[in-house]
Amino acid sequence: MKSNSEGMTTPTNIASSLAPPFSMVSKYFLAAVLSFIVLAGLCALFAGDMQGHHFQPKLLALTHIATLGWVTMTIFGAMYQLVPVVLEVKLFSAKLGEIQFWLYIIGIVGLVYGFWGFNVGAHFTASASLVTLAILIFIVNMFFTMAKVTKWNLTGLFLLTALVYLKITALAGLLLSINLGFPFISRIHLDYLKIHAHLGFVGWVAMVIMGVALKLIPMFGLSHGFSTTPTKVAYILVNIGLLGTTVEWLMTGPGWLLRLYVALLAIGVLAFLFQLVEIFRHRMKKILDIGMKHSVVAFGYFLLSLVTGVFLAFADVGDEGVKQALVLTYGAAVIFGFFSMLIVGQMYKIVPFLVWFHTFSDRVGKEPVPMLKDMFSERLGTIQFGLINFGIVFTLVGLLLMQPHLLRAGFIVVFLASVLFAVNIGNLFRLRIHYGN
Amino acid sequence: MATKEQIIDALKLVIDPELGVNVVDLGLIYDIDIANEVITITMTLTTMGCPLHESMVEAVRHVAQMTDLTKTVNVELVWEPQWTPERLTPSAKQMLGWGNS
Repeated sequence: MKSNSEGMTTPTNIASSLAPPFSMVSKYFLAAVLSFIVLAGLCALFAGDMQGHHFQPKLLALTHIATLGWVTMTIFGAMYQLVPVVLEVKLFSAKLGEIQFWLYIIGIVGLVYGFWGFNVGAHFTASASLVTLAILIFIVNMFFTMAKVTKWNLTGLFLLTALVYLKITALAGLLLSINLGFPFISRIHLDYLKIHAHLGFVGWVAMVIMGVALKLIPMFGLSHGFSTTPTKVAYILVNIGLLGTTVEWLMTGPGWLLRLYVALLAIGVLAFLFQLVEIFRHRMKKILDIGMKHSVVAFGYFLLSLVTGVFLAFADVGDEGVKQALVLTYGAAVIFGFFSMLIVGQMYKIVPFLVWFHTFSDRVGKEPVPMLKDMFSERLGTIQFGLINFGIVFTLVGLLLMQPHLLRAGFIVVFLASVLFAVNIGNLFRLRIHYGN
Repeated sequence: MATKEQIIDALKLVIDPELGVNVVDLGLIYDIDIANEVITITMTLTTMGCPLHESMVEAVRHVAQMTDLTKTVNVELVWEPQWTPERLTPSAKQMLGWGNS
């Protein structure tokens, strides 16, 4: 559609121009929400197993439901939806996105099943390969899409970098999975696990979050006139810190150089958090809606995760039990406090928009169309916000103090929150079915 | 034949679904030029790469067209001068949660 084309009213179908098909993108969001419920439910049921060392079958299974099923699934959906509009290009292939989804789902189910009972033979390797293949398809799809970009911005740079880390994370994961069944890596498996986890947490997820936040948070808050220098500093420091940390873990292990890299990484994250503060100071939309409330808390947990992570890297925790509890708390702060809280919040922004765009964008100005905030229940969202906050605090305290009952109570509350969240998101899709064209 | 004021009134029907504020009060409409056969509306958006890009432009074109079916409506989307928050009207600021200051 050309806005200034000559002539009378030309019929337009806005939703089909740059945005990929609704059904492809929404599959990822629905699968992600389902993963969240399954994750929280299983955590509540098996809270008693969450003690001692983090390298144990059920924890590995749960971690991968969280990282692959919930977090990465969401990012896939969000990137399919946002990359074309933010970078003003058409998605290379929606069909590949569809194929990728099914390969990915089958792979995750197989992988999680394998971890759970520690059946790490050939079918486990096959599942890990499927996940890696699905991820490869995503990366190829994104690379070909981004190859057409003419107007690059900082967000694009972050996303491109994140894709590289995603590939490395997936390959490292594949090697680790083969090594479980058919040991071939002579070095300690746990060292590689640490690298795999941090490339995923920081290189992939946090990198995506930083890039996307720089675009979306100002857009939602109507922030203008802030400097993006902190983000540039964050990009450089986080990359140097992460790569340095990885090399040190691979080559020499703990030492002063490792601590230097961890410190650089931490300063990079702080620079990004400072950027967020700047964006908030400049915002014109003063009201914090339910999505933004979640996001603010999530970034608080980003800071808490950082403090815990740095503490683990620098302090010499003598007691092995205390150290293991700290590692578990750290992991839960990242996965539940930071990632989950942020995803829930951002889904309250992104999914209504997805449904609105495909359902109502052709009708603006022609008939009354709903505002995004009117498309779901803010009240239900507020109750869910309260629950998830309580639940996560209980969970973290339960893990830190090694109190199984508190931990279980925390996960039950998080589970309830995940169900309320799913009801709210589910209603959005029902709206789509009701008004769909 | 529609006057500039009538077109502005019509444009107030085009509401940003995220912010809940119409394009006029957001200060997105830079100019409305009414010539013999053509109405030209010059507008901007708050952010480049805004996902609402096309639906806002199309909606503006549509409502302007409805004020006068005999003319051609052109919508020119420009990024210069860049939109700034100073362009928000007092009622827009109020809707965005500003006090009475």
